Amino acid sequence: MKVILWKDTKKNIENLMEKAENLFYAVDFPVSEGIEEAYISVDKKKVLYRAKVTEISEYNLPNAKKPAEKGKKKKDTRELMLKKKTGLKTVLHLESLEVLAPSIPSSDFSLGRNKINAVDSYYEATLERIVITQKEKYSSVIEGPVRQLIEKELDKGVVLPLHIAEMLTKIKKEKGQDFFNKILKRVEEDLEERQIDPFEAVGIIAAQSIGEPGTQMTMRTFHYAGVKEVDVTLGLPRLIEIVDARRTPSTPSMDIFLKDEYARDDDAVSRVIKDIENTSVIDVADVITDTDEMMVIIRPKRKLMDRRRIKEQDILDAMGSIKQITIIQKEKGDTSVDYADIEIKAQQESYKRLYQLQEQVKAVNIKGLQGIKRAVAVKERDGTYKLQTQGSNLKQVLEIEEVDAVRTTTNDIVEIANVLGIEAARNAILKESRDTLKEQSLDVDERHLMVVADMMTIEGQVRAVGRQGISGKKSSVLARAAFEITVKHLMRAGIVGETDTLTGVAENIIVGQPITLGTGAVDLVYRGNVPDKGE
Amino acid sequence: MNSFISKRINNIQFAILSPDEVRKMSQVRVITADTYDDDGYPIERGLMDLHMGVIEPGLKCATCSGKVDECPGHFGHIDLAMPVIQVGFVKEVKMFLDGTCKNCNRVKLTEDEMQAYGRRLSEKKLEDYDPELLTLIIKKNLEQAIKREVCPHCGFKNLTVILDKPTTFREGAKSGGAAEKKITPKEIRERLEKIPDDDLIYFGLNKSFVRPEWMILTALPVPPINVRPSITLETGERSEDDLTHKLVDIIRISQRLRESRDNGSPQLIIEDLWDLLQFHVTTYFDNQTAGIPPARHRSGRPLKTLVQRMKGKEGRFRSNLSGKRVNFSARTVISPEPFLSINEVGVPEKAARELTVPVTINQFNIDVMREWVKRGTTPTKENGNYESGVNYILRPDGRRVKITAANAEDNSQKIDIGWVVERQLSEGDIVLFNRQPSLHRMSMMAHTVRILKGQTFRFNLAVCTPYNADFDGDEMNLHVLQKEEGRAEARIIMKVQEQIMSPRFGGPIIGGIHDHVTALFLLTHGNPLFSEKEATHIMSYLPVDKDMKPVSVENGVKYFSGRDIFSAILPEDFNIKFRSKLCSGAKRSEDGTFVCEYEENQEDIDVVIINGRMIHGTIDETAISPFAGKIIDKIYRKFGAAAAAEFIDKMTRLAVAFISFRGFSTGIADYDIPENAISEIKEISIEAEKDVDGFVIDFKEERMNPREGKSVEETLEEEIMKVTGEARDQSGKIASQYLGLTNPSVIMARSGARAKMLNISEVAGMVGQQSVRGQRLNRGYDKRTLPHFKKGDLGADSRGFVKSSYKVGLNPLEYFLHSIGGREGLVDIAVRTSRSGYMQRRLINAFEDLKVNERRQVTDTVGEIIQFKYGDDGIDPTKSENGEALDMNYILFDEENGGEQ
Repeated sequence: MKVILWKDTKKNIENLMEKAENLFYAVDFPVSEGIEEAYISVDKKKVLYRAKVTEISEYNLPNAKKPAEKGKKKKDTRELMLKKKTGLKTVLHLESLEVLAPSIPSSDFSLGRNKINAVDSYYEATLERIVITQKEKYSSVIEGPVRQLIEKELDKGVVLPLHIAEMLTKIKKEKGQDFFNKILKRVEEDLEERQIDPFEAVGIIAAQSIGEPGTQMTMRTFHYAGVKEVDVTLGLPRLIEIVDARRTPSTPSMDIFLKDEYARDDDAVSRVIKDIENTSVIDVADVITDTDEMMVIIRPKRKLMDRRRIKEQDILDAMGSIKQITIIQKEKGDTSVDYADIEIKAQQESYKRLYQLQEQVKAVNIKGLQGIKRAVAVKERDGTYKLQTQGSNLKQVLEIEEVDAVRTTTNDIVEIANVLGIEAARNAILKESRDTLKEQSLDVDERHLMVVADMMTIEGQVRAVGRQGISGKKSSVLARAAFEITVKHLMRAGIVGETDTLTGVAENIIVGQPITLGTGAVDLVYRGNVPDKGE
Repeated sequence: MNSFISKRINNIQFAILSPDEVRKMSQVRVITADTYDDDGYPIERGLMDLHMGVIEPGLKCATCSGKVDECPGHFGHIDLAMPVIQVGFVKEVKMFLDGTCKNCNRVKLTEDEMQAYGRRLSEKKLEDYDPELLTLIIKKNLEQAIKREVCPHCGFKNLTVILDKPTTFREGAKSGGAAEKKITPKEIRERLEKIPDDDLIYFGLNKSFVRPEWMILTALPVPPINVRPSITLETGERSEDDLTHKLVDIIRISQRLRESRDNGSPQLIIEDLWDLLQFHVTTYFDNQTAGIPPARHRSGRPLKTLVQRMKGKEGRFRSNLSGKRVNFSARTVISPEPFLSINEVGVPEKAARELTVPVTINQFNIDVMREWVKRGTTPTKENGNYESGVNYILRPDGRRVKITAANAEDNSQKIDIGWVVERQLSEGDIVLFNRQPSLHRMSMMAHTVRILKGQTFRFNLAVCTPYNADFDGDEMNLHVLQKEEGRAEARIIMKVQEQIMSPRFGGPIIGGIHDHVTALFLLTHGNPLFSEKEATHIMSYLPVDKDMKPVSVENGVKYFSGRDIFSAILPEDFNIKFRSKLCSGAKRSEDGTFVCEYEENQEDIDVVIINGRMIHGTIDETAISPFAGKIIDKIYRKFGAAAAAEFIDKMTRLAVAFISFRGFSTGIADYDIPENAISEIKEISIEAEKDVDGFVIDFKEERMNPREGKSVEETLEEEIMKVTGEARDQSGKIASQYLGLTNPSVIMARSGARAKMLNISEVAGMVGQQSVRGQRLNRGYDKRTLPHFKKGDLGADSRGFVKSSYKVGLNPLEYFLHSIGGREGLVDIAVRTSRSGYMQRRLINAFEDLKVNERRQVTDTVGEIIQFKYGDDGIDPTKSENGEALDMNYILFDEENGGEQ
């Protein structure tokens, strides 16, 4: 969407804000018709204000006495606010000027292909906006009687899961009120009865429930998941990787979904594949080292280049990334070769440098996204295509036009945390661990995995399970000492003068008193025989 | 036992000992490096001084006059001739030397900086920060101070301090090269002493507990003798503890240093001795300090000093504090006993005689206990059966009296209210039973005791699954609870029947296995009939009293159906409907109905039980086994734990009764298939080989097109794997055509009792392609798997395609290659157990403190909320139906057919 964006002084804005409504603002730049929104930045970096543009007119009179040609408005003398004293060009009718919270970074606006890094003057820019369609409120999707039932039960303190409510409504319709009442009563009782008990050691149960089936998992690292072309780590190694919160998984992989309009389009699919598959020079050309001439020769292969849709110029452009070299493109004299050779000479002539150069040249990335080694299209059951990749680059993949950013995902949890945020990472941990266990056909309740995922992400960043992460940050000295690196923790405790308040499990076991979970968490006091105040 | 008020440690404060404190808590200043005199009596002011406690019976502690087990031990101390650095604090000492001014001893921060940092750090805050963050903050704060040469307070230009690891400090100009001077620990101590209290906070020190100069030792605490007991070898020779050895060294060198210093020896000698003292003190603390050789025992074994005692798996923390050895426990081999309830454990008499339960005598039990004591230690009932006696009685003064046959009568009269009698284990006592590795809470459950003859622990086979036990020599542990609270909790929470539902997946983890499944399958499949005599025989195993209606009467003989017999063990009012395993691999056919993989009688497929009567269906894995067991699951939910336990008990009895009545076995002949099937399978293997050869030729002649994203080699391997896999499947299909439900192996596989159809096809049909890491075998010799093949041979034979079946037997080459594949499995298990064990330890450690609070939120120890509602819905996974809150279909079916009483 085209919008108008400009930089203004703080004072001007304050004036504008005061006026608030029915604002006519004369600005010193032209604005084309059809623009409906105005954005104003004060400090170049952040865009803090937004207003609706309802009318754009030319500024011609010094006193802005625009005749009421359009006539319908009774007020024909518009009170104009001026951005500057001179050089004014356009009058904007602004409405509902508001402060944006949070502010939008200027880089969200772009001029053509380029992002706006700083708002220096004015731009007719496009605002790349991610449209977040707000999920319809849960209750509004649910049809009448079901919703009524849920709400009624909620008043009673019973949270009825949707599918059960639906079923109950159906029963009511089919089997009559009496039977329904009987079932409802039982459902209420069961739901209440099945609530978790207070002081239950849910952490230990979760750890056991995940750890115990670990012994039954395979060690086989590689297995085909879905496509034969993409290897993915599975089984125990994958589970360990997840709880370790490794910065990069051993086999990063993405599932890329395309927007509906492209998902069945073969051309679009292969175009996306070509776009994301990382291609380096060595993939499309021979790289020869000529020690006589002290240069590296790139001999492009037409067949390979065509397949990957790469032109000669792409290679030349890519070579720009190597510093201190001279690039010479040969005339295409010999017709037997597909393309002319490209010769590259280092400015510093030495064998060592030549060797380095050769390695550099081979690795130069011509096209595609960093990290994505291979992408394969998989046909889904509904006829749409899904791409699976070896290697992961979530951020850049999401920026591709054809990609459906909502469904696309990666198995790199830390990357998800960086790109999409910690809550997404929490869900990713949950999904990845669930899928890993399911693939091994091990039945583990999702609630246990939730505990792990929540605990790993509660601090706002993905923490590993282990001494680097959760365990190393426990508040108890004794608990830390009992886990790993005993002495370090004790020494430090001495210096800082730490106090162990003995609230956890490990430390109470060490000092030999009841733990603070389960039956140890409650105190029972025997009052003795309270004398009956015989009435 | 003298107080009913239990005390609880509120908190533990950590700090560093000051030399004053060391001396204050010391009972003796140790000055002699010797231990015992010639008579074997501890030398006064020696390392074994009686003031530090006693380890020999007969002697009394000079401090508390306690005897061996009474004296807790007391510290002594050594006054070191010269100060030395405590290795553990070298880094901190360096930090102080770097960060403070040599001249005025203040931290080299400007007033502004101090103010800025001071806001973030306070004594109170020190504790709240997590350790890593704190180190980071301090590092950041001090960065300036360390960089700064000129002191902002006095303007003195400081030199750079260099640390030669592990414990030597030098000082020199920043540019280096200039004359460098060693800083002795004494000088360091003097500098640290002068640092003002208020500056300590910038170094992360808590001034209320710690002074930096305490990191330089002048007095060394000598641990109590109980900590370092000496042992007397059989030869009468005394062998001292490693710590004592080290202390001897320290005292010796300290003394020599003192003498040298006092009589004015050359500086060089003093320095050498000083360094030696530093070495000994360093290794006394940590014998694995980087940069110095570990101190060794005469035999060459490195000494185990303080750090080594605490560290690691065998260290004090993990081995003695987090886990302890216990009394009142027993361990022996386990064996099965189907006639025990799942709640029971059979304990051999020998063990029962040793294990005791303390009984405090009161007015109500005194007469009974008198009787028990009178029996002595090995009473038997009239029929010769075990009866529990009494091993010890505890008098109120704490004395323990051992009961013997001779003094039993006497003691039975002596006991009085308030005394404690340690009686032997009796039937009905509750005990904990455990098998290692204890991977989940069901690895330790409470059983009631049955005293049995024999030498082994015995239990019902249904309990094998939670313990993951079998009887190939497994041993298990048994613990007798000593307190009423423990017994109560064990009965209410830990009893086997309370653990039937696994918290992992919300289904039963206890149920019938192997023969139980086979037996009930045979009993119910096709609903066979049994004559009255037969039925009575089978049901005589069961404690049921039920009116049975015959299905038919022929020639005056009443006939009862198998399903009716099974119904006898079901609770009344029990309703359920589900599909049995028999119909696995069901597919929806075109007209919308389900069609099973193997054609079956519809009556056998769907299990329908209404009002406790099994109408039709087949009992198999889905009905009664652990993990799946639908019947157990629903009985538990509707009728409770006790009813579920009762059902399992009866079920296992019925299964044993029936299978021993009917008989069941399998043999090699069960895998016989007709000639034509054999030749058909042979055909398949030849065909497969041909295909493989074809691929290899294609590959060698470079005619093979690689698959997308794969190399030609990979493509070849994939194609071959596909072909060989298909060959195995096909041969399996052919073989199983001739092996129907009359075949014992097929019965076991199809009912889910043991093995899969795949295993049968391996025996009767073909073993198939062997693989390592999911690929055909390719390792061994140079370019070939065995020297019997040509180099580079990619054919089926050379890469582990086993054409034979187990029944026919493998030829030598196949046998070798098969063993290669088999080894992978073994390696896999070995690697896996250690890796998953460590993962679980980390998981437990990370999550052990989480609990649900009163408001059903999940919180940690600090009270931070991890989840606002446990698992989003607050449902306990143990009580959930395989993860779901409710099983609506079941509720409906149940209510339609009678419902709850």
